[in-house]
Amino acid sequence: MSKTLNTVFLNDFHIKHKAKLFPFAGYSMPIYYLNGIIKEHLHVRELVGVFDVSHMGQILISNSKHNTSSLEQYVPLNLGKLEFNKSKYSFLLNVNGGIIDDIIISKIIINNNEFFFIVYNADRKTVDNKIFEKILNDYIYIHDQSLISIQGPLSYSSLSFLKIKPDMNFMQINSTNFQEQEIIISRSGYTGEDGFEISIPNIILKNFMDKLMKSTNVILCGLGSRDSLRLEAGLSLYGNELTEEITPVEAKLLWTIDKIRLEKCNFNGCKTILHQIKNGVKKIKIGIKSVTKSMLRSQMKIFDEKEKEIGFISSGGFSPSLKVSIGLGYVDINHQDNKLFCLIRDKMEKIEIVKLPFISHKYKKG
Amino acid sequence: MSERKYSKDHEWLELNDDIATVGITNHAQESLGDIVFIELPDIGRLVKFGDQIGVVESVKAASDLFSPVSGEIIEVNNELQNSPQLLNTDPENTGWYMKIKIDNTEELTNLMNFNQYKETF
Repeated sequence: MSKTLNTVFLNDFHIKHKAKLFPFAGYSMPIYYLNGIIKEHLHVRELVGVFDVSHMGQILISNSKHNTSSLEQYVPLNLGKLEFNKSKYSFLLNVNGGIIDDIIISKIIINNNEFFFIVYNADRKTVDNKIFEKILNDYIYIHDQSLISIQGPLSYSSLSFLKIKPDMNFMQINSTNFQEQEIIISRSGYTGEDGFEISIPNIILKNFMDKLMKSTNVILCGLGSRDSLRLEAGLSLYGNELTEEITPVEAKLLWTIDKIRLEKCNFNGCKTILHQIKNGVKKIKIGIKSVTKSMLRSQMKIFDEKEKEIGFISSGGFSPSLKVSIGLGYVDINHQDNKLFCLIRDKMEKIEIVKLPFISHKYKKG
Repeated sequence: MSERKYSKDHEWLELNDDIATVGITNHAQESLGDIVFIELPDIGRLVKFGDQIGVVESVKAASDLFSPVSGEIIEVNNELQNSPQLLNTDPENTGWYMKIKIDNTEELTNLMNFNQYKETF
């Protein structure tokens, strides 16, 4: 029996704007519009693009002692000391240190109440929600608000056009009033560019979008270019680089973990993580580039000079900025040399290891 | 020049004596999206109807090219290696990808004419 796809609130809006909709994580989502993925991608790098990412999970959790310590079992951050109006990139970890999901967690005040606000992956909703329901009390899933991502060097000015002046730095967050409704704005995104993600009540969303589209240089972008943008930015994607079998150490994301909590070893998987830091890991994430014109794709195998299989590609595709194929992958820790090959349709094609990110980040940092 | 024929694998074919010029249809490029790479067949290769002879890669995914007829590949459009976007901008003209010397023109009766193709897809 085939499951029916969920639709986002803006579904009709996307159809009206000639979106190519495809199933993604159980949702019918715009993958690209009339301009196509490459043009949308380059537009975001140069100007500004708007993405509907309402398929993602949003939850507000009241900031209580119980909820803080419950979350800290899974999330390797000092949540008690997390400042208000700050966002952090983090994880839900399993007992083996594997990644259940990657999340953005923030602390905010809405109408004088303190909350944790978590944005998490659509694909992981069932798993994450089960955990939330098991460990938390007093929380609310946000179903009546969409999540709109505005990305690119002109994102601030396009919001100014709507009389929203989000004066904040990268990974800061605030709730503010727009047309008599409370909206949550954070300066973030997953493209490597300056940008904002806005959680906005559906009752004012169409109005918001129509106004935003009138701002100079704004175009609609789909999840296709969001993926190629995050790949160029060297950012990991759940299901590709991040899985329950991969730890933050292997994914080169150790920097996200709170050092003191790691020393105290008081969260899921901390023993594995400490062990990996001390003794090293078997596999490690790398960035790669195709030397030929062939496309690197996820699942392809990576080999050394002697044609010994030493890893796999976790994400691969075309880089519109660099005009070659790039990818992320995992290789045996002892084979981080530059003479690697990838098996592409029965041919061993040379690939190069590239320092991440492929395209440097342009976050607003004060 | 003959009437153009179309295959169910979204390729067009134009016959000149026993030489057919082959490309992908506009409908194909529309559903593929931005094309960024083509693996062309080898010149001189003898192929049968339906053989996998190459690959087109769009930003999203890879799709196989299948020979719409049997014969010998006598020319490929090398321009596409440097400008694969021709497959998006002009797929049914300068974006042709191979010329094939047909073994048996009777095979062409398996293919569709424009109206049949348009109705089917």
